[in-house]
Amino acid sequence: MNTKIIKRFKPAVVIALTAITMLGGINQAQADETCQSPYMAKITGQEDFVYVWTLGVEGMGDGQDKLVTVDTNPKSSQYGKVINTLSVGGRNEAHHSGFTDDRKFLWAGGLDTNKIFVFDVHTDPAKPTLSNVITDFVSASGGVVGPHTTYALPGRMMITGLSNNKDHGGRTALVEYSNEGKHIVTHWMPTDEKLGGADKAGKFADGYNYDVRVLPRRNLMLTSSFTGWSNYMMDFGKMLNDKEAMKRFGNTVVAWNLHTKKPMKVLDVPGAPLEIRCAWKSENNWCVTTTALTSKIWLIYEDDKGEWQSKAVADIGDPSKIPLPVDISIASDDSGLWVNTFMDGKTRYFDMSDPFNPKQTYEKVIGKQVNMASSSWDGTRVYYTSSLLANWDKKGSDDEQYLKAFSWNGDKLVENFSIDFYKAKLGRAHQMRFGAYSLYNKFSKLESIDDSSKQIAQLTGELVN
Amino acid sequence: MKLLSLFLKVIAGVTFTSQLAAFQALPQQQESFELAPGYGKLAYPLPAKGSYQLPPLGKALDGKILDEQGNSGTLYDIFAGKYVLLSFIYSNCSDINGCPLASNVSYKLKSAMQKDSLLADNLRLVSLSFDPDRDKPEVMRLYGENFKYAGNKGEWKFLTTDSMQQLSPILQAYNQDIQREKSVNGDQSENISHILRVFLIDPDYNIRNIYSVGFLHADLVKNDVKTLLLNSIPGTTKIVNQSNVVSLLTRPGDNKEGYDTLNYTTHSNALTEREGKGKPADLLSIARNPPLGLPALPAQLLAGLSAEKIALGRKLFFDRRLSLNDTFSCAMCHVPEQGFTSNEVSMAVGIEGRSVRRNSPTIFNVAYATRLFHDGREYSLEQQAWGPLLAKNEMGNPSIGYVIEKINNIDGYRELFEQAFNGKGVNMMTVGEAIASYQRTLISADSNFDRWFYAKQQNALSISAQDGFALFTGKAKCATCHTVGNDVALFTDNKMHNTGIGYNNSMGIKPDKERVVLAPGVFIEVDREIIDAVGAKSPADLGLYEITENPHDRWKYKTPTLRNISLTAPYMHNGSIGSLKEVVDFYNKGGIHNEVLDPLIQPLNLTDKEVKNLVEFLQSLTGSNVDTLVADAFSAPVGDLTHSDPNWANSGGFSNED
Repeated sequence: MNTKIIKRFKPAVVIALTAITMLGGINQAQADETCQSPYMAKITGQEDFVYVWTLGVEGMGDGQDKLVTVDTNPKSSQYGKVINTLSVGGRNEAHHSGFTDDRKFLWAGGLDTNKIFVFDVHTDPAKPTLSNVITDFVSASGGVVGPHTTYALPGRMMITGLSNNKDHGGRTALVEYSNEGKHIVTHWMPTDEKLGGADKAGKFADGYNYDVRVLPRRNLMLTSSFTGWSNYMMDFGKMLNDKEAMKRFGNTVVAWNLHTKKPMKVLDVPGAPLEIRCAWKSENNWCVTTTALTSKIWLIYEDDKGEWQSKAVADIGDPSKIPLPVDISIASDDSGLWVNTFMDGKTRYFDMSDPFNPKQTYEKVIGKQVNMASSSWDGTRVYYTSSLLANWDKKGSDDEQYLKAFSWNGDKLVENFSIDFYKAKLGRAHQMRFGAYSLYNKFSKLESIDDSSKQIAQLTGELVN
Repeated sequence: MKLLSLFLKVIAGVTFTSQLAAFQALPQQQESFELAPGYGKLAYPLPAKGSYQLPPLGKALDGKILDEQGNSGTLYDIFAGKYVLLSFIYSNCSDINGCPLASNVSYKLKSAMQKDSLLADNLRLVSLSFDPDRDKPEVMRLYGENFKYAGNKGEWKFLTTDSMQQLSPILQAYNQDIQREKSVNGDQSENISHILRVFLIDPDYNIRNIYSVGFLHADLVKNDVKTLLLNSIPGTTKIVNQSNVVSLLTRPGDNKEGYDTLNYTTHSNALTEREGKGKPADLLSIARNPPLGLPALPAQLLAGLSAEKIALGRKLFFDRRLSLNDTFSCAMCHVPEQGFTSNEVSMAVGIEGRSVRRNSPTIFNVAYATRLFHDGREYSLEQQAWGPLLAKNEMGNPSIGYVIEKINNIDGYRELFEQAFNGKGVNMMTVGEAIASYQRTLISADSNFDRWFYAKQQNALSISAQDGFALFTGKAKCATCHTVGNDVALFTDNKMHNTGIGYNNSMGIKPDKERVVLAPGVFIEVDREIIDAVGAKSPADLGLYEITENPHDRWKYKTPTLRNISLTAPYMHNGSIGSLKEVVDFYNKGGIHNEVLDPLIQPLNLTDKEVKNLVEFLQSLTGSNVDTLVADAFSAPVGDLTHSDPNWANSGGFSNED
């Protein structure tokens, strides 16, 4: 199926590249789409929608979490507007979401209530519906709390946990579910007591988890490590004052055998390594992560002996000010990396042409706080949202909540539109995922049919009514 | 009164001569009228319960007997299921230091059973006649009548045998040589010469002690029974000179000891292995037999306890469905392996991450607390249980009825409540009582300190810890509030005091920079304004004043027990102090000055060595059974949402298609 979709979109790539060339030769191609599982269909042309997994705020609107659909097609009359909201009940600590490999369903986890909301995004991409709610994630998984990354593997979802039901600390697991929503197996993170065959390469084997990414060509799966429920749910200021709590952050990245799902090596990456992005080019056998507390870019790379190693390769801002790097986004040609720093509200662009020496080449303040960054496949559009965690977001007037869309021409970001999520009584804007009619051989019922999409469809003879 | 008359009658007809040979080892028997110790107050302090062993002395053998109604049976039928104190007597016995002594001690034990349900439930008194010719069942029944005024609670059986032939093997088995005395004219007297032996037999028919005239005493028997009960609890056996108390299970599974240094290495436990370390304990017995150093629980509390209620309470304690959004059980803040508190956060975090303004107190020994919560606003565990259930920033349930309805709709609970509460279902009283029942069993003592101080084991406590104890009760004046008694120690006066910690919080007195650890051994100084930008305003906290509105009660908080204190960091009502040394340093400086500072808190002028010794003493207060209680908790199932539980999303109501 993936092969089929990729074939189908070849013309789009050609058109997009032509357009890029005409626009003045942008050679960067960083993208949220490249953050997706390599097993998944991608939107290589214009995204029609951004789905924003949004946290409800007590006393604001209906106060509950919702999937907010924003029209992002410039040709649409609704461009830059919220066109749908779907409330899911409760404040679940909405956080990350991920599509199934067929991209028909979006799985969105609640870090607090451990519910996983499965949205149907293919029947009507403009109006997702709730197709299933997995309520028994904790009991089915054997005690895993905080479903975070929902990452597509063929026919199933790999879900990272952040915590557990015994002490609400950071020890946790990776959990596999079938696309149909059935628990398959729980892989506990390696701990000193049970390394599971892994080599404890350094001093740490904390058993924590956060994100998961794969490098199929090297049979590698990587997981990172954040903190447990008690911390990610705690008031951020209270936590910074709490000396015990501050000891409970992850300091590891685990290299797994992707095929067997067995941990191979526990690497020291101190200071809470969060998002992981893996390089795309076949000669680039490395992935990258950033540490939230110590503010560094770390490279996880395969050395000339075939061993996976970790290395701090750059500082992000001034680590002594705790800029708190959060979301990152890698270019599809591995040449650059967006890094957002929450505390100063900045997005920073790093040149990754030498991955062992990343250099910051651009920065811009997006808002008083910033968390997620998502860019289009071609790298010309970058979207930002504001919320980190309900109780970590800034307080008072610094607590801006938004979705902002920018154009990126390689030199600077130019704002296209902005939605104030508080003014709209929506809540805290967190993760974004893109939707497109073209993924499902569908076209908008609205007046604005994307001409290029239509052209592609005509070219491929797959126009449907 | 009848008993007294019996004794008077017995004393009136005393004959002493025949027993003298048997008692020659006991000087007082040379003086015919001197009463055995069993009649008076014990002349020496009782050894601490559980501080010694009573190894089996041999099997108590079986035999055929007749009960008071003349029914035939066996001794084993009579012995079954309880500890037994077996005396051989005969109804006409006139030797005051013989059978009447045995019956007098039994009478005292029966009287004690009226208030001591543990004794009543576990000990059975048995008097067997060795005069079957005269002591027919009816005679034994009448003999027993004399003792009924001791009270109804507890059992005392009066047995005889069919014939001398039936009795003989029993006498032989229990080494009871008897001979009928002869009167001066050569006729057989009614009196029987025998050596007094009273047997303590365990439920496995092992003889655990044999009492003779010199030391048959009700207090001693009681002590022995309780020691045996205590020793019968797995993991709580107290052996003299046992190595020091070291807890293996009571530490965070994610141990961060040494995180402040660059040398830190993880010592993390696997959660999957935690379950394997689980082992159910006989919690009811623990509650009934507090370990060395703790007093018995009040009889009325014990009377209400049952294994069913405890098991149900434990299930509730670990059930995360008991919160509004199915994420919070009691155990999420009172984590068993973290001293039934939380070592990982200074102040608790409730549902949706809501800030709780105080540190989770330990549940260990909460059975002895007369006031609950740091501000002492509750008085019984039954009532207290509802506080966290309904607090918006703890478990967040919207109403009492909501909780009851939810429990009723979770598979299995309704039946368990009905079984535990005599048919009563889930209601506000039974929920509170069940949770309270479990919490009351989390009793832990018999620490190295207890063994040294109460059981007089000289080697149980290090010299420096002994010095620390001298400071504790002396120069440092800790024991003024953390009380230590002659027989038992709660290490709390259950009263409220102002140390100044609360004052500091209310006045917002904080350093301009906070030293924050970013990774093992990596720190930075963070400006206060950065922390404040991402932190909610601290909630007000005035302690006891909030309950009384008495200005003198500002910033007063309850004295916590110090038992197991090394397992329950961080310290103080707001968890603001991370180590015992820092706590001692805090008091050494005289707390924090404020207008209502407790006058008991003054600078102590302790030297560094004294601080160290005091800390070492505090570290000696870990109970020997903490791992038993933790292993029991590990064996408890954790309740999490399943598809059959009440939840809107379980009923298929998630489609947004109207």
